[in-house]
Amino acid sequence: MLNPIRKQQYLQLMAERGWDLLLFYGDGWRKDLFRCLINVNFSGPQAVALLSRSGQIRALVTDPWDVEPVGAAIEDEPMLSLRLAEGLRAVLAAEARAIVAVNGLEQMEARFVRAVQEIAGAVPVSATADVEEIRRVKTAEEIEWIRRAAQLADRGYEHFVKVCEPGMTEFELVAEVESFVKAHGAEDNFMLVASGGTEVTGMKPPTARRFQPGDSVTTELTPQVNGYYAQICRTLVIGEPSAAQLQAYSIFAAAQQAAQTYLRPGVDISDVARVQNDVFRARGYGDYTGPQYTRVRGHNLGLYPDELPHVLENVHYICKQDMVLIAHPNTYLPLSGYMVFGDTLLVTAEGCVPLNDTPRKLFHS
Amino acid sequence: MKRGFIGWDTQQLPRAALEARLEELQRNIAGLGVQVLVAFCDVWRSNDVRYLSNYMPYWNRALTVIPSGETPILLCALSPRVYPWIRSVTLHETILPSPQLIAQLVRLCAERGWTRVGVLDHEGLPYELYRQLAAEKLEIVDVPRHLVRPKATEAEVAMHRHAARLARGVLEREVTGEALGLTDHELTGRLERALRRAGAEDLFVLVSGGYTPPLPACGTVLGAHSSVTLALEYCGHWVKLSRNVAGMTSPLPPGRGATVHLETLSRASGWEGIAEDDHEAGAVISLQVEIPADGKRLYYGDTCVREGGGLGVL
Repeated sequence: MLNPIRKQQYLQLMAERGWDLLLFYGDGWRKDLFRCLINVNFSGPQAVALLSRSGQIRALVTDPWDVEPVGAAIEDEPMLSLRLAEGLRAVLAAEARAIVAVNGLEQMEARFVRAVQEIAGAVPVSATADVEEIRRVKTAEEIEWIRRAAQLADRGYEHFVKVCEPGMTEFELVAEVESFVKAHGAEDNFMLVASGGTEVTGMKPPTARRFQPGDSVTTELTPQVNGYYAQICRTLVIGEPSAAQLQAYSIFAAAQQAAQTYLRPGVDISDVARVQNDVFRARGYGDYTGPQYTRVRGHNLGLYPDELPHVLENVHYICKQDMVLIAHPNTYLPLSGYMVFGDTLLVTAEGCVPLNDTPRKLFHS
Repeated sequence: MKRGFIGWDTQQLPRAALEARLEELQRNIAGLGVQVLVAFCDVWRSNDVRYLSNYMPYWNRALTVIPSGETPILLCALSPRVYPWIRSVTLHETILPSPQLIAQLVRLCAERGWTRVGVLDHEGLPYELYRQLAAEKLEIVDVPRHLVRPKATEAEVAMHRHAARLARGVLEREVTGEALGLTDHELTGRLERALRRAGAEDLFVLVSGGYTPPLPACGTVLGAHSSVTLALEYCGHWVKLSRNVAGMTSPLPPGRGATVHLETLSRASGWEGIAEDDHEAGAVISLQVEIPADGKRLYYGDTCVREGGGLGVL
């Protein structure tokens, strides 16, 4: 519920930066910005955690049903205010001229920032990048939750393969998989799909398109367990795969393996992208590694399903032990249309290990 | 992210209805003297833009730019690879790739000669965008939400009603004595399957065992005092209902001893919005009731429309 290791790290950060008060602002999209201190899946529109230099933790919630779970986590009654700006003014009333930093300042509505400014006397500073850097390296407990999420992703994909059949619509398939992962403990799930042939250039939310023989059915399946996401990417062919689909798959598999072989503490994330793209270049498909055809070659994972750094050749970040990320060389190829393949990877002292154990193959129904 | 079925049923929502909303908007903001209106949306704050163009951001952020007399332009942070799909389910014909939303907006304003720009709920912008916009040489005019969505129309109330019936049917079939012994995860899975197959765009399920308010599932086994609260989005229209295994009901509004939790669902913000009681006729209200029972709590509630002096269940 309360992450004591993170709390100590944030207190150290506050001391280094000279901040009196660190706010963690979460809303319906970015709950992670709050949950990285108080890991409660709140229901209201927003929630704010307040960490003082003394180590005191308070909270402000905007839904009556959040009072009890958040209160249990911090062992103190949170303030309830249906209007966050009014709540911020009240909870900060004794903080005049405090140096306030906000994790999630960029996401915070401007009226909320103004409320903080009115009390503190200055615009709060952003703590988002500093907190993000702390969050990037997972604690042992966090790794255990991500491991469970990865296991659920494996089971969810097994169910995906079991139920996917010709004539089914994309949204019916997602309903089946969503039901499965929720029934087995997922609290949320990030999931994109696509189906079809060489006309398919990317994934999106599910449509009413019905699966046909020969389709490639792609998915990013990303269940969340106790706040933490793990992801798997696989492609399934309806019926027997064509020679072109098998050829395409071999490129994706080799690219993902190249990333997995290369990833270790101390390497630049840009090179984790480069080794994947080099596989495509070596096979004559280097043109399909750019933004016209693909977004990223992977990304960090944690309390948010698309954490930074992104795995891209123009992003430089030195990887650290206990980071968790997915390497997925997902892109369009003229051989097969859009195809995906990737596993969640834990960076260890000597290299990395996959947290998924779904077979590495081109599935078919 | 929204991972339900996002489509555009032109029988339910004809293009002419969307165009009429834009015309009404232009009439409402005519007195502000702005050359263009800008509306922000993200995966969680989606309903303003959905109302205006039927764009539903399943992920990421976007700005809808509405010049007078023109089809809205979408500034979109998603990849151009999904623009054909966006065009198929929205009014948007022009979609500009915009990894930096404000920079793209400023370029567009310069190209079109727009200097006085209306921003829907200006102070509701994420601070990152608000600050970037403030640094530009544009005259920004706040456009309050009531000028964009003055009140729920009959067509919108009908969509809320459809969503409420959908949710009610599934809840009353699943939250019965037969659910005893299931875990809250298992029941959540059943609700997800039924409602997403029926076309729900988004869904939140909360469960109470009688000792806490409704909370996300945590693996507990359903008992005689369990209640389930469901928030469902169907074509951009939210409803919220609660039912309990005991089958206890409550008049709406309830009698003494019960605690009431009200939210307005028909305003621009919907499920994601500010909890409040809305006294305007036609407002769509979530009314959830906590009922004391044997030292525990049961929950019952529905989605209602305010009519005359009271509430009518949708």
